[in-house]
Amino acid sequence: MGEALLQLEGISKSFVSNKVLDLVSAEFEKGKCYAVVGENGAGKSTLMKIIGGIYRPDAGKVRLEGKEVHFFSASDAIAAGISIVHQELSLAGNLSVAQNIFSHREFVNGLGFINWNRLYIEAEKIFEQMGVKMDTRQKVGKLSVGMQQTIEIGKALSLKSKLIIMDEPTSALSEKEVDHLYEIISWLRERGVTVIFISHKLAEVFRIAERIIVLRDGVLVGNEETARITRDDVIRMMVGRHITDLFPEKGTSRGEVIFEAKNLSRKGVFHGINFELREREILGFAGLVGAGRSEVARAIFGADKIDTGELVLRGKQLNIRSPREAIKHGICYLTEDRKGLGLFLTMKVKFNIVAAALGRFVTRMGFYLPRKIKQQSMRFVQAMEIRPFDDEINVMSLSGGNQQKTLLAKWLCAEPKLLIADEPTRGVDVGAKAKIHKDLRVLAESGVGVIVISSELPEILGLCDRIAVFRERTISTILENRDLGQEEVMRYATK
Amino acid sequence: MNQNTAHTETGRATARTFFRGISRSRESSLLLIILAAFLLLALLKGSIFLSLKNFEGITTGIVYDLLMAAGMTVVLILWGIDLSVGAVLALTSVITAMLLRAGLSVPLSVVLGLLCALAAGALNGICVARLKIAPFIVTLAVMSVARGTALVLSSGYFLSGLPESYKYISEGTFIGFPIPYFVVLLVLVILHLLLKNWKFLNQAFYVGTNPQSAVLSGINANLVTFVGYLISSLMAGIAAIFMSSKLAMGFSQFGQLAELRAIAAAVIGGASFTGGSGSILGATLGVVLIAIISNGFVLLNGSPNWQQAVSGIILLVAVGVDALRRSREGRE
Repeated sequence: MGEALLQLEGISKSFVSNKVLDLVSAEFEKGKCYAVVGENGAGKSTLMKIIGGIYRPDAGKVRLEGKEVHFFSASDAIAAGISIVHQELSLAGNLSVAQNIFSHREFVNGLGFINWNRLYIEAEKIFEQMGVKMDTRQKVGKLSVGMQQTIEIGKALSLKSKLIIMDEPTSALSEKEVDHLYEIISWLRERGVTVIFISHKLAEVFRIAERIIVLRDGVLVGNEETARITRDDVIRMMVGRHITDLFPEKGTSRGEVIFEAKNLSRKGVFHGINFELREREILGFAGLVGAGRSEVARAIFGADKIDTGELVLRGKQLNIRSPREAIKHGICYLTEDRKGLGLFLTMKVKFNIVAAALGRFVTRMGFYLPRKIKQQSMRFVQAMEIRPFDDEINVMSLSGGNQQKTLLAKWLCAEPKLLIADEPTRGVDVGAKAKIHKDLRVLAESGVGVIVISSELPEILGLCDRIAVFRERTISTILENRDLGQEEVMRYATK
Repeated sequence: MNQNTAHTETGRATARTFFRGISRSRESSLLLIILAAFLLLALLKGSIFLSLKNFEGITTGIVYDLLMAAGMTVVLILWGIDLSVGAVLALTSVITAMLLRAGLSVPLSVVLGLLCALAAGALNGICVARLKIAPFIVTLAVMSVARGTALVLSSGYFLSGLPESYKYISEGTFIGFPIPYFVVLLVLVILHLLLKNWKFLNQAFYVGTNPQSAVLSGINANLVTFVGYLISSLMAGIAAIFMSSKLAMGFSQFGQLAELRAIAAAVIGGASFTGGSGSILGATLGVVLIAIISNGFVLLNGSPNWQQAVSGIILLVAVGVDALRRSREGRE
């Protein structure tokens, strides 16, 4: 048994009348990596925020190295050696790497002037330790998400953290960046730093964590050594039921061509894009982040310009200059960033659902038909199983999975002929994920063209009938998804 | 005794839910505050406050603010701001007065004056919607241009000597009430209903909540934004016609700090500087509240010079309360 760093004893927390955590107890040892898993709304984030001093528990004790601690703010927790690397990174994009590392703790002389040289040297030392090459003078805003995350971890190190909590750290990383993150985590553990890792991706949880802690509806339902349990065990604990079919059945016989892209190119972004999409099939766009998948989707949707090439939908050649025209033709694009580019967070669920199809809920003079809006939105809330069962609340107060379902409902409401779904299940819990996969398959079976872009190969392999693999801004090959392995797809994606 | 405590506890809980229910709707809580201020003033200075003359004084003053606060609300919902309304009012009054003095007919002068206001709005709208320049900067510049042009055109003089028939616009009555009251009421009701129920204008909420999502949902965000600034300027233009008719002149210093009062009223009425919220009814109540408090200040203190400071303080308090509430909600 190693030495205990952090002990939680009977932590409970309620918001208004909603019990989010119920008597959660757990122990975290020094130098180990723990994964905390659970469906959205299971209480993971709340528990982490209590450990990180952002919330205070209603009941229960937090002990750090044996002593009971009471944090009144995040800075108390940071001072005690607990850092959180949030899902949404919180670095200042206009400042340099070094300034971000030492924000509010710059090295100043007696007159309050900053000693810039020392700032850069000290920051470089930190990255040297981590084995990362980093120009500490460049602005953070220009760096990739993976690099920014490395900087957040570097910042935590500079604060002499004993415990680093990472909230969904890999959700926006490329495969290579994920590998690098694993290296950094092992290195942290060697130095005796404890890492708590929140993730929806079970494969990586099994790869990196020594213990897996499972929460369900605010209750700790499992705390096991990784070696002793299987993936199915964890899924069972998470959902409290057995999910046999993680993915829906593949498509039935393919029908006519719905959509064709002929030799699309946009200078410096993608080139030579050719593919066709038939009825009752789901086409996957696989490839590494930055290979041009989302860029092609944006261009088809009219959000970016196409320099050359043809788009043909149901035999008709299209000339699309804006998303508005694309939607009119029945081409819809579910964006990967649901908060920034998809939803209207402070607006009601019902107004989000009808947002892309407002023209279908008005009189000839352009006045709304409130009853029709209500009817349609409730139909989608029901069909998509959006919880809570209420279309009058703000989307902001929904969990990630339900927000994503709302976004999908928005596009289904627009009655697409072609739907391009970009990372349709990012940051979504197991239950919502299965539901979204099922809905996409049903959509394809009903004659709508469906393209799915995903960075998760298991999702692409589980869901799609054919896979277009992107590499270096073009499609390197289109594979028939029969007995395909991840390795084979990766080979075409990387070369 | 235990029972007693339990009783007061439930009593308190009921009161809490009651007040929470009321405070949830901005309009109803505003109405309560207005009522309270009204009662307080009636008690303290009843004889003057409730006099017809005082009432007339308040209502004449708020006609212009009501129009501009309504326009400002539309722009604030769009995540914008319009600092130029006061200056556009002045420019419109000067141009209309010049046209009238040049012998043009009243209807023609009014239409041309309003077109001039719309031109200023179009300039704002093009710069914000099409060129993507920050609304604060654009409307600050247009404010300066409009006020400066009014000054040059009028050489800083009162442009009086307007035809008698022009005065009818503000002094003519309909069932015993001056025409401006009816026009303002009509404009406010129409704008309120359009913003709520008419798809085109209602899209302002989508654009203001998340401009990028709006564009990607097929909403013509540029056009909606452009029209928003047109509406704001048109409101200033109508106010200019009423004001120049009432005071029988055009003047380059009309509408000083009107933008401040309009913003204050709109924000008190539920609009936010981060876009996506606000209502015409709320802004209307905001104007009334500011007017009553300013009036009370004058009645209790005697110096009308405080008025400007009072509007500023009310704005600060409103924004402060708003920020506090938001941070509390955020924490929950």
